[in-house]
Amino acid sequence: MFKLIFIKELKEIIQSSRFTISFAVCSVLIILSFFMGAQNFLASKAQYEAAVQENRNQIAANTEWTMVEHTISLPPQPLSTIVNGISNDIGRNIEMRGRGELRANNTRFNDEPIFAIFRFMDLEFIFGIVLSLFAIIFAYDAINGEKVSGTLKLCFANSVSRATFIGGKLAGSFVGLSVALLIPFLIGCALLPILGIQLSSDEWVRLALIILSGLAYFGLFLALAMGISAMASRPSNSFLIGLVVWIFAVLIVPRASVLISGRLVEVPNVDEITAQKNRYRIQLFNEDRPKMANFSVPDGTEPSEVMSLFSSHMSELSSTRQEKIDAFTERINEEYANKRKRQEEVALGLSRISPTSVFTLASTELAGTSLRLQNRFMDSANEYQNVYSNFMTEKTGQDGGGGFRMIMITSDDQEEPEYLDPNEMPQFEYSRASLGEVTENSLIDIGLLILFNLLFFGGAFVAFLRYDLR
Amino acid sequence: MQNETIKQAPLLEARNLTKVYEDGVKALDNLQLTVHPGEIFAMLGGNGAGKTTTINIFLDFIQPTSGNAFINGIDANSDPLEAKKNVAFVSENVQLYPNFTAMQNVDFFVRLGGKSQYKRSDYEDALVRVGLQREAFDKKLKDFSKGMRQKCGIAIAILKDAPAILLDEPTSGLDPKAGKEFTRLVGDLRDEGKAILMSTHDIFRAKEISDHVGILNAGVLVARKTNAELKGVNLEELYVEYMAGYMEEVGEPSALINNLS
Repeated sequence: MFKLIFIKELKEIIQSSRFTISFAVCSVLIILSFFMGAQNFLASKAQYEAAVQENRNQIAANTEWTMVEHTISLPPQPLSTIVNGISNDIGRNIEMRGRGELRANNTRFNDEPIFAIFRFMDLEFIFGIVLSLFAIIFAYDAINGEKVSGTLKLCFANSVSRATFIGGKLAGSFVGLSVALLIPFLIGCALLPILGIQLSSDEWVRLALIILSGLAYFGLFLALAMGISAMASRPSNSFLIGLVVWIFAVLIVPRASVLISGRLVEVPNVDEITAQKNRYRIQLFNEDRPKMANFSVPDGTEPSEVMSLFSSHMSELSSTRQEKIDAFTERINEEYANKRKRQEEVALGLSRISPTSVFTLASTELAGTSLRLQNRFMDSANEYQNVYSNFMTEKTGQDGGGGFRMIMITSDDQEEPEYLDPNEMPQFEYSRASLGEVTENSLIDIGLLILFNLLFFGGAFVAFLRYDLR
Repeated sequence: MQNETIKQAPLLEARNLTKVYEDGVKALDNLQLTVHPGEIFAMLGGNGAGKTTTINIFLDFIQPTSGNAFINGIDANSDPLEAKKNVAFVSENVQLYPNFTAMQNVDFFVRLGGKSQYKRSDYEDALVRVGLQREAFDKKLKDFSKGMRQKCGIAIAILKDAPAILLDEPTSGLDPKAGKEFTRLVGDLRDEGKAILMSTHDIFRAKEISDHVGILNAGVLVARKTNAELKGVNLEELYVEYMAGYMEEVGEPSALINNLS
């Protein structure tokens, strides 16, 4: 009996004009999103390669390591093709210094601000907004529509249990719609290598997990709409209720949770922190001024040694000052990071009330474009900073952290200086999270998606058990 | 035939059936009726008399407050899945799946009724028997008239081949020709030994085809006549007389008569 209802539901969906229209729209959107994502990725990759090459050229054009302005760049993430996450919002370049705080700048939206307004159309958008709405459109009248049309009564004039009926309907709608949606997804996946996106086996697994999470997300909206349909008396009522729930789940809760967490946990803004650091830096510099002014050399010192002594004196002052600044910065950054982490935890915790947030968190985590992307980039950059600092100290005697620099040319007939070899500069490598890490990190959200499915299915089931069939 | 069948156990039986809704309205009051194989029992009565409530209890769509409904000796409310194997149902306004063809609808509902042995030719025979044009077999139901849908509903009931059939105002809204065809079909089913319980407003068709006519008023079976007892009787007058008589008894005759007229 279950199979019969399951197949009936499949046939009914496939033969409906509602399906034809939405399938056509979804297919176009899904394939388009793969295509546009691939184009964006290739553009980002070209920009990244150009930035790296420019950095090498800049090194190669210099004869002194002290004159090098080294920049490291975040390579684009292949799966940002599918799920953009924060990849377009965070700075991609960091001007490297031997010491001090690093800051990423030059986001994707710097280049193309128009996308900051309308954003990109990725799979997260298609699942999160479009397919969840389609799930409501498909299932809002699944039960009460049959009651109004009279087919429910005719079905239950036979020896059919309610559990079999609702189970068959849910499974039939889910499989019918999911299999149909898988077709454009598979076409999109097949397009990736053709469009020049080479994914590793690890990334294919992640992509498969993203699509499966998306289908679980779609399924929970289907069950939710069916549950509403079993609780509301008329299809028009269930459609309205479904729409309101969708608006709350998709549009309001994720945004509201960020606002609420902002109220609950106050975090000073970055400008305040920077101003505090700058004030402290200026204060220390002013305190050092008399020491700088009091520099003196013993009588009889050779003029060539004077410069060297002055450099050492200034370097010593600078190092002491920097130690204090570093300690202050570390403390203030830690306080800031702790507050920000707390705020993020509250925001993410609250937002997980909404299945849309849960799906967003799971998919961005799997794609490697979650909030962790920024932290990971900064961690990699900070690690690299030590390597860079050691390299610069070895090459110049200074750590490359900036500060006072004096070069004295003593004669014009010196040997022509050699240009620098960019290959000598240690390479910056961004370490991507492994499949194991992202799976572990997304486990809670994938688990929540399954839980939402069970919850909404259970709700629909119970509502239908109590449903008045007349 | 009647003499033979009456001796058999009833296929449909309402025993002291009472239904009081949550708002206190008494829809059925101690209803007793039996329908034996090869019998048609027509329930007559105005709106809210309890006809559909009776059918809904037989189909387990609602639970009786007290009493029992039996289908082929099985309590329809305590073992509904087993009971419903023995009954087919045709509603007032048969609505099938509009995106399915007549053939697909018949196939689905017949299988749902537990019959999976049929071939397409069996479905075609049933649809021809109920008078549906062959060219309509593979057309979607959304293009069908009410009469055509009703014919599909009857075909489904025939193919289910259950011993008992429940008809809820089956001729309502049908044109006279379709109504006559329907009556013929129901007569054939009775002759095949089916027990048919039919709720209707159609006094003349009820008299023409039924073996028993029961008049329901406010949930009470106020009269029960056999076909023989109705010979030469003006059923319309009898109907009004019983309804009015009962209401006089309970004290509200004028409102009821106005309602009936």
